[in-house]
Amino acid sequence: MDFAFMWETFLILLTGLPLTLELAVTSILAGGILALLLSLFAVVGGPIGRGFTRGYVFVFRGSPLLVQMFLIYYGLGQFRPLLQELGLWAIFREPYWCAVIALTLNTAAYTSEIFRGGLNAVSVQQVEAARACGMSGPLLFRRIVLPIAIRHALPAYGNEVILMLKATALASVITIMEVTGLAGKLIADSFRAFEVFIVAGAIYLAITFLVTRLMMIVEFWLSPHLRMRPPTLA
Amino acid sequence: MSDRGTFLTADNKNSTAAVSVKDLRKRFGPLEVLKGVSLEALEGDVISILGSSGSGKSTMLRCINMLEVPDSGEVCIGGEMFRLKKGRHKTEPADRRQVDRLREHIGMVFQSFNLWSHMTILENVIEAPVHVQKRNRAECIEEAEALLERVGIGDKRNFYPGHLSGGQQQRAAIARALAQRPKVMLFDEPTSALDPELVGEVLKVMRSLAEEGRTMLVVTHEMAFARDVSSRVVFLHKGVVEEEGHPAEVFRNPKSERFRQFLSNER
Repeated sequence: MDFAFMWETFLILLTGLPLTLELAVTSILAGGILALLLSLFAVVGGPIGRGFTRGYVFVFRGSPLLVQMFLIYYGLGQFRPLLQELGLWAIFREPYWCAVIALTLNTAAYTSEIFRGGLNAVSVQQVEAARACGMSGPLLFRRIVLPIAIRHALPAYGNEVILMLKATALASVITIMEVTGLAGKLIADSFRAFEVFIVAGAIYLAITFLVTRLMMIVEFWLSPHLRMRPPTLA
Repeated sequence: MSDRGTFLTADNKNSTAAVSVKDLRKRFGPLEVLKGVSLEALEGDVISILGSSGSGKSTMLRCINMLEVPDSGEVCIGGEMFRLKKGRHKTEPADRRQVDRLREHIGMVFQSFNLWSHMTILENVIEAPVHVQKRNRAECIEEAEALLERVGIGDKRNFYPGHLSGGQQQRAAIARALAQRPKVMLFDEPTSALDPELVGEVLKVMRSLAEEGRTMLVVTHEMAFARDVSSRVVFLHKGVVEEEGHPAEVFRNPKSERFRQFLSNER
């Protein structure tokens, strides 16, 4: 193994890191908002809302992200005249936006399921206690339901964040030069796949490590009631 | 409590019932749980509601604060009636705001405590006064600490519910209900989920509430509490009031054969 080459590779791949993070953060945020809307629609939209959300989750969870990305980037290219007419071509022409859209739509499906699980985990009894003292609507949601649901959903959500971070690597196949895209290019130049992918993998590993730590801190901070030892007397 | 005292000495003590329930009916699918139950609690009344399981006693209690909406009948709190309307499939409250507003004056204590697990005991107690009734936070904390002291868990205010025993949790739940400054307290089998050795500490608190003249409706299996503390006993059987009266009277001389049987089984 050529450590000097690996160090060089590392420095080159690092220049792709901002793009990787940007893809991940954008799609996680946008996907989170979309997921919230989906869960809300499922709750207030009656049978249509429930059906739509279920169908959405079925489609986007049931097919590979790579296929979804190809469909959006290459597939929609067939409808260029129509998209131009609608003024959407500027978006679908760009591989970056196609990747963001595919990642967002995909993570929204998973995240809405996570939200649903969190909301379902809120016990009827605690909600009843809140109703019994005069709470309802947004106040009940904000003070009781949401805080409990978030605590339940957090571990699964942390997982989803990590999965998304790694899923950004797929964007390299639609010509985006993030970490994995740069790695592919380096390999084409140097034919040293082993070293380059080791370095690329290590970069993802390091980021994932940071994210898991961060999630652990948030979880710890949010759940003093689940820690084993009661607090000392104040 | 001082405001309580003036309340009781007022001449109009009996003018309006704290709670009145008229001809309550409730059906769950094919099962008619309440078949026309009426009940009236005056200021300071402590009413024990007895009955075997399935007699409808919990459902009746939950109808009083609309956790269950009765199919028909009237529920009044301090003279104000819950307005109901016929929905497509079932009866529902006509005005959700009114339900919330009346519920502010009804403290409820549940069988399984139902404390909010993500809040400390103190936070549980001040939640309704601060966020529902919009009272001054500092005052609420002061009052909450006094209430916790009173139910004997003043030292546990910064603990989370999961760190307390069942008896302590139920006493915290009583403090939480009291913090609403309720006109009436509802107890839904408050000691049924407790280990036998923890029942006493909860009953002691309830006894002291009765002694200070609080209006209480208590669904219970504690015969000693019903006999010694309550001002009236109501025995429900298959959705109707089978026996009703002063405890000394009904326990010594039950008119209904069913209540006689129930008493002999409970002893």
